[in-house]
Amino acid sequence: MPTPTLLQSIAITLIQCVLVVLFVFVVVPLTVFAERKVLGHIQQRLGSTRVASGHIGITGWMNRGMWKWGRIPVLSYWRGIPGLLADVLKLILKEDIIPAKADKFVFFIAPALSMVSAVVVFAAISFVPGTFFVFPAWFPGLGGLPVSGGIADINVGLLWILGVASVGVYGIVLAGWASNSKYPLLGGLRSAAQMVSYEVPLAISLLAPVVLTGSLNFGEMAQRMATGTSAWGLVPQVFGFLIYLTCGFAETNRLPFDMPEAENELVAGFHTEYSGMKFGFFYLAEYINMTVVSALAAGFFLGGSWLLPFGLQGLVNQLLPADAWIAGPHAIFFVAKIIFLLFTYIWVRGTIPRYRYDQVMSVAWKYLIPLALVNLLLAAFVRCAV
Amino acid sequence: MFKNEEMEINLGPQHPSTHGVLRVKLRLDGETITHCKPVIGYLHRGVEKICENQTFFQGQVWTDRMDYCSAVANNLGWAEANEKLFGITVPRRAQYIRTLLNEFNRLASHLIWLATHALDIGAMTVFLYAFREREDILDMNEAFCGSRLTTTAFRIGGLREDMPPGFEKMARKFLAKFPTCLEEYENLLSENRIWKKRTVGVAMLSAEDAIALGVTGPVLRAAGVPYDIRKAFPYAAYAEMDFEVPTQTAADTYARYLVRMAEMRQSARIIQQCLDGMPEGPVMAKIPKILKPEVNEVYHATEAPKGELGYYLVGEKGSTNPYRFHVRAPGFINLQSLPKMAEGGLIADIVAAIGTLDIVLGEIDR
Amino acid sequence: MTEPIIPQAPEVPEAPAGPYVYDYAASPQRQVVMPKTVPLPSYRTYLAEVKAAAEADEAKWKKMQADFETAKAKAEADGKDAPKPPVRPVPRKDDNDLKAPWPQEAKDADLLLLQELLGAKVEEIFEQAGELTCQLEKGAIYEALQLCRDHEGLRYEMLADQSATHYPAASDFAYSVVYHLTSISRRKRLRLRILVPEGFVPESACSVYPSANWMEREIYDMLGIAFANHPDMTRILCPDDWEGHALRKDYPVVGWGQRDVAFREDRGGMIERIALQKAGQLGINLKQPKAD
Repeated sequence: MPTPTLLQSIAITLIQCVLVVLFVFVVVPLTVFAERKVLGHIQQRLGSTRVASGHIGITGWMNRGMWKWGRIPVLSYWRGIPGLLADVLKLILKEDIIPAKADKFVFFIAPALSMVSAVVVFAAISFVPGTFFVFPAWFPGLGGLPVSGGIADINVGLLWILGVASVGVYGIVLAGWASNSKYPLLGGLRSAAQMVSYEVPLAISLLAPVVLTGSLNFGEMAQRMATGTSAWGLVPQVFGFLIYLTCGFAETNRLPFDMPEAENELVAGFHTEYSGMKFGFFYLAEYINMTVVSALAAGFFLGGSWLLPFGLQGLVNQLLPADAWIAGPHAIFFVAKIIFLLFTYIWVRGTIPRYRYDQVMSVAWKYLIPLALVNLLLAAFVRCAV
Repeated sequence: MFKNEEMEINLGPQHPSTHGVLRVKLRLDGETITHCKPVIGYLHRGVEKICENQTFFQGQVWTDRMDYCSAVANNLGWAEANEKLFGITVPRRAQYIRTLLNEFNRLASHLIWLATHALDIGAMTVFLYAFREREDILDMNEAFCGSRLTTTAFRIGGLREDMPPGFEKMARKFLAKFPTCLEEYENLLSENRIWKKRTVGVAMLSAEDAIALGVTGPVLRAAGVPYDIRKAFPYAAYAEMDFEVPTQTAADTYARYLVRMAEMRQSARIIQQCLDGMPEGPVMAKIPKILKPEVNEVYHATEAPKGELGYYLVGEKGSTNPYRFHVRAPGFINLQSLPKMAEGGLIADIVAAIGTLDIVLGEIDR
Repeated sequence: MTEPIIPQAPEVPEAPAGPYVYDYAASPQRQVVMPKTVPLPSYRTYLAEVKAAAEADEAKWKKMQADFETAKAKAEADGKDAPKPPVRPVPRKDDNDLKAPWPQEAKDADLLLLQELLGAKVEEIFEQAGELTCQLEKGAIYEALQLCRDHEGLRYEMLADQSATHYPAASDFAYSVVYHLTSISRRKRLRLRILVPEGFVPESACSVYPSANWMEREIYDMLGIAFANHPDMTRILCPDDWEGHALRKDYPVVGWGQRDVAFREDRGGMIERIALQKAGQLGINLKQPKAD
């Protein structure tokens, strides 16, 4: 394969960025829609079947179009989809209120901070190891060049991910502080304590894959976890996955750990004073964070872009011919696992109540951290002994 | 450089979990509540004054608007208090139908309580499950009196109309499926670890405190006091019904949850007995068109879903209006115990405490 | 007999004149019809009424007989047919299910025990419609409440309700305050009643029954009876700056404390704004007062 020039590398990276951002901004609204539908079905209703408001304005026009659409039997179920567009329109067009006594600059920067930190994590995630696709020869300027499955192949990718993701907490804390209001302050403080606490078991549970694979690079880790671990590696992987998922729920402020925005206690938590697209940024950031957490779980524990989770693929591959389609990595598997995990998020939200704040903290410090440490020990044992 | 300060915070009047326009002044040390003071009156309409300026028949419409989640129970209290004032004997069939509707209403009210309480604690699916069953009860209200929420179901002296045809079938159909619905809720909550963590030992109110503060209803029964006015001072057709008064001794939010769930089962049992033993006969006593009392004062208490609902009426000789009308609203008295329950707890516990008291501000503020 | 105490209503500010200004002071909702009777149930009053009614009935019968005698004598004198002898009217029999519950003599052991314990402080005991009532001297209520809660033979654990009634037509008192006690263990109810004049400050029941806290605040808010030794004697349902006490009989249905707006139906001020706008289009300045 030809070696790309500097200009060509930059162009390829830009294309990758666009693709990832596209992926994020396709998955996030669909998650929002899926949340409505899945919650609806959990609660024995249909979920969203129409656009926000009645007969007038843009949404009215959309609604009228959709009633026509709805005459087609299967499509009638999906009439809520344009509601996503309407939601975005609403967020953009809404008046942007800044409280009079807020710290204006911090108030402004906070949503951007949480949004940026959420998106940037994707740089280190590789959707598929090695080459994702190769530009066809006729492509102007880039013909024949390969595009890899991740934007940046960082050799300390995990550190990068953890580091950047934990910047997101600043967004929430600063939002709570800058609003100069009591409920957001409580929400911001809660989230500071909660996220700092849960970073610990989260990082420790992610250390198990590091120990098992001996790498910090996302792609390498994913590959070794999927195909390179022994049968004994199954145990720390499953435990690690459960601990990681629990911490992931807490990190993304989802039920049962949605302390910072516990609606029934703190009205809306840290974003009580936010409106318009600033609120929209927090909203997007939450869903992007969910996707990130799901992507990490999929990559490290569920076999990444291979079919089988928990290192089972490595065991099965010994029985399969080396060039079998299901023996190899495919981006579709990775995305499917992300989607399954996103579904789990919604599923849990529809099923269980919310913890109390002090209980959330005790879950982290009394149960999850010891468990994660034991799991790390187990992983080390597996690594050394087997 | 560092100093400790308590934060004063207003929970309400606009807040997702104050069930209306309750305002609670809180003083917080971190997240621990050191001082709690409920402030009410945002929904005060002067129902007592209005009823004093209306006739005895008109007043009933206002009782609907007090506790709008259990309008039938309010109607029953009003009708019976007036019957006591005038000395009216109500036909037995009317008593049975009243009992039937009142128990359906208790189910509806408890379902609303379950829905909102679970939602406050974060279990949002129970909310919609409970509303699904409540919808059937409201349909039955509509079939009976044409109105779903503010029923004005009864008349002084009996009922305006007998049960409509098909009502019994509706009721039996509901009863047949209701136990499985209750099991659904209990599957979601009863043994749920998070639900238990949020409710066990939260918002305790001992029996002594409850009695001293005048707290009645499921909150008192969850403290181990088997005081149910349906048993203690039977009214309507409750003397003829066979049912139990469920009690718990833990006196916490979880115990109140268990008591209310058990009460729903008992209500279904009472409804079954009403349907099976429904006597024939007229549904309205023979009373004059215009009622004028003798000088008399009555205090009539009924067991509303939230507790003891008492109506105090003073009759003036020859007047068509009550001279004095006073409501002992269960929510008003029960809400007094909120500081006792919440102080020392966390801010999340006060949400559970408000939910477990099952308040409706329409009746508290009147 | 002293004058009945009628509290003065606060003065209404002068309404601006003009055809479009609603005269709220003259509104029928602001007019108060004061009650003329004192509907205070009492066995003693009832007995007196029954006796008076019987006497009146007897007097009427006597008069009818006397009238008949004179008419008969006159007819005999005139040589006409004698008029029909009068028939004593029997009370009209109504066949409805309405039997008014009259006050009855107290036979219940609790009432008798209370009377025995408190002696002269009990003004009256009677039963009516199955309810026990004990009227006490107004200073003795605290003692009576303590007794009801603690005495072995009474054991009324709970103060279920506390309320008051305004009797503007009464001469020697203005309010009755009633306490509804419930005995959970004995399944009994008891009503204690005191009659208080305007301005009297009864002892608060809070230290005996803590549930009285909000009920007494409500009484204070609605009727203006302040209670002594109450931990927090403030308004509870109305705002702190509310004028008047709503459940007094001299308080109109549209309250004194209610905000007076030029257009009573025009809460948002929309009609007024439109009126001003239209007037402005016509070149009339409605806002400016006319110069003399």
